[in-house]
Amino acid sequence: MAASAAQKVQEIREVTRIERIGAHSHIRGLGLDDALDARNVSQGMVGQVTARRAAGIILEMIKDGKIAGRACLIAGQPGTGKTAIAMGMAQALGQDTPFTAMAGSEIFSLEMSKTEALTQAFRKSIGVRIKEETEIIEGEVVEIQIDRPAAGTGAKVGKLTLKTTEMETIYDLGQKMIESLTKEKVQAGDIITIDKATGKITRLGRSFTRARDYDAMGPQTKFVQCPEGELQKRKEVVHTVSLHEIDVINSRTQGFLALFSGDTGEIKSEVREQINAKVAEWREEGKAEIVPGVLFIDEVHMLDIECFSYLNRALETDMAPVLIMATNRGITRIRGTNYQSPHGIPIDLLDRLLIIATTPYEEKEVKQILKIRCEEEDVEMSDDALTVLTRIGMETSLRYSIQIITSANLVCRKRKGAEVNVDDIKRVYALFLDESRSTQFLKEYQQEFMFNELGGDKEEMDVS
Amino acid sequence: MSFLENLKTSQKTCIVQDGRRKIHFIFKDKTELAEEYDLKTDVLLVRKWKKSGRLGGEGKWQFEVGEDLSPGSSLTEGLMESSTNPVFVRKDGKDVFQWRIRNLPYPLETYNVTVDNEQRTAIIRTTNKKYYKKFTIDDLDRHNLPLEQERIVLSHSNNTLIIKYKKPTEILQHEKCMQDEFKKMKDGDVGCNPS
Repeated sequence: MAASAAQKVQEIREVTRIERIGAHSHIRGLGLDDALDARNVSQGMVGQVTARRAAGIILEMIKDGKIAGRACLIAGQPGTGKTAIAMGMAQALGQDTPFTAMAGSEIFSLEMSKTEALTQAFRKSIGVRIKEETEIIEGEVVEIQIDRPAAGTGAKVGKLTLKTTEMETIYDLGQKMIESLTKEKVQAGDIITIDKATGKITRLGRSFTRARDYDAMGPQTKFVQCPEGELQKRKEVVHTVSLHEIDVINSRTQGFLALFSGDTGEIKSEVREQINAKVAEWREEGKAEIVPGVLFIDEVHMLDIECFSYLNRALETDMAPVLIMATNRGITRIRGTNYQSPHGIPIDLLDRLLIIATTPYEEKEVKQILKIRCEEEDVEMSDDALTVLTRIGMETSLRYSIQIITSANLVCRKRKGAEVNVDDIKRVYALFLDESRSTQFLKEYQQEFMFNELGGDKEEMDVS
Repeated sequence: MSFLENLKTSQKTCIVQDGRRKIHFIFKDKTELAEEYDLKTDVLLVRKWKKSGRLGGEGKWQFEVGEDLSPGSSLTEGLMESSTNPVFVRKDGKDVFQWRIRNLPYPLETYNVTVDNEQRTAIIRTTNKKYYKKFTIDDLDRHNLPLEQERIVLSHSNNTLIIKYKKPTEILQHEKCMQDEFKKMKDGDVGCNPS
C-alpha cells in the first residue's frame, strides 16, 4: 500500500516538473515594456538597464527578419548577466524562431573540422517555414484502458478506443503514448487529435454528448462536436525546420535517423548547395518562408583566428543569421596568433559588431537576484539571512552566493528548520571556500602542496 | 503528360522471381513504382509507390495493391492500430478490381458502398457506425474514367467484406497491352547495371 502511494507521488512529480532548475531557468524574457524601456525587475531580469535596452533593439531587428548577418557582442565581467541576457532574448523570440546556443569551445572536435561545426551552427539557426502534409487521428475518446503490470514495475500496456460519428477504432498504446495521455489528463468523452508522425496529443475539448455529465469540470471546459468521417485524416500543417535538418535528411539514405542519434558527421558542400537552390525555389514559388534566427556563441574568445576569419566571410552571405557573442575577456591574445586585441577578437571583426557592455551589479540588485533565485529553487529564507547573503555576494561573487542558497537550504532541512537563517548561511560559508579565500589559503600553505620543491618561478599560466 | 507516356519514358527493370514477374519503374520526377504480376494468370499482385518527402530524403513504400508483409519496425513506444481492427487491402482479379476488408464480423446488410464522382472517391459506410472508409480507385483516375455505381458488387464471408468493381473495357485493353509489352522485356533487362 505504502509502495503504491509512493509511486503515485513520484508520478505526480513527473507530471508537474520535467525541467531541472538550471543556472538561468528563472529568466523568462528581457523584461522590457512596449517602448523597449527596461523595467527594473521583470521576467527574472534585474538591473543592467542599458544592456537590456540595447538587446531589445537587436531583438526588434531579428523579429523584422530583414537584415542578415549582423553581429553583436555582449562584453562584461564574469557574473554580470551576459548569458542571462542572451537567454532572455531566446525566450522573448518564442518557439518559432530558431535559437542556437553554443560555447566557443564546442567547435573543437576530432570528428569535425572547426569550420564545419561553425557552418552547422549557422545553418541550425536559419529556419524554413514550410507547409507539410501529415497524418493526424482526430476523434472522441470512447474508452481508455491502461493495465499496470501486477509486479508494479515494467512496461504498461493500454488500449484506446476512438470514434467519429461514422466509425470506431481500437488502438494499442505504447509506453510513451500512455505517458503523454496521462500528462494531458485525457479521459473518456474528450475530443483529441494525435499527430501520427510525432505522437503529439492535443485536447480540443469535451464532446457535446457529455455536456450533461455532472463531472467536476472547470468553467474553462470547452464543448466541441464529435468529428465526422474517417478517424485518420491528412492535414496540411505549417512547421519550421532548420536548414541543418534538411541537410541531414538529404545527406544520406537513412537520413533523419541520424538526427536523433546526433551523429551527423560532415555534410558535403554539394548537398548544401542543392538545398540552398531548392529553398530559394520554394521561396520564389511562395511555398516556403525563411525565418532567420539567432546564433549565440558564449565564451567567444575561445575561437581561434581561423574561425574569426570564417565568421567574417560567413556573415556576408544573405542566409546568415544574427550572431550574438559573449565574452568576459579584456585585452588579450587572439587564439592562434601572438597579437593582442580587445576581447581577443581581431579588429576587423570587432568593427562589424555592435558591442553591448554589462556592468557589475549593485548591492540592491544582487539582493533582488538572490531573492528571485530563492523563489526559483523553492527556498524559504529569512530577511536577515538574505542580507548576510547579499553581503557575501558583494564581497565574493554572485555565483558563489547563489550556490550557497542550495547548500544552506540542505543544511536547514537537516536541522528540520522551516526557513534558512543566518546560522545556516554561516555554516555553509565556513564549509565551502570561495575563490578569494581559496587563493588566500593557497598563498599561505603553498609550501606544503606537491611539486612545490621544483620552484614556482613561472608565475604566469598560459590560459588562452 | 498522360500516365501512359510517363510509363513509356520511365526507366524500367524487370526480373522473374518466385513465380512472379517483378517490374520496377523510375519516373522522370524520381518517383518509383514497383509492380508484381503472377506469371501464370498475369494478375496484378502488388503495386507500390515511393515518392521522396517534401524536404527530400527517402520516402516509404505506399501500397496501392497488395499489402506490406515485411515485418516492419512497429513502433512499440507509440500508437498502433490494434490487430482486431478492420484491415483494408486491395487484391485484384482478372477482370475486377477487388478490395477485401478483414475483421469485419457484421452481416452483409450493414454495409453500404456509394461512389462520389465529384471527389472521385468510393465510400464504405456501416449502419452500426463501426466502420467508415473513403478510398480512391487510382486506375480509373489515371485514365480519367468515371466511377460507376452499377459496377460495384458486395459480398461477405469469413469475417471479410469483399467489394468488387468490374473493370471497364478501357482498363482491360490497357492491361492487355501492358502485358504484351512486359513479355517482350527480357529477364533482368533494361538499364539494370549488374553490380
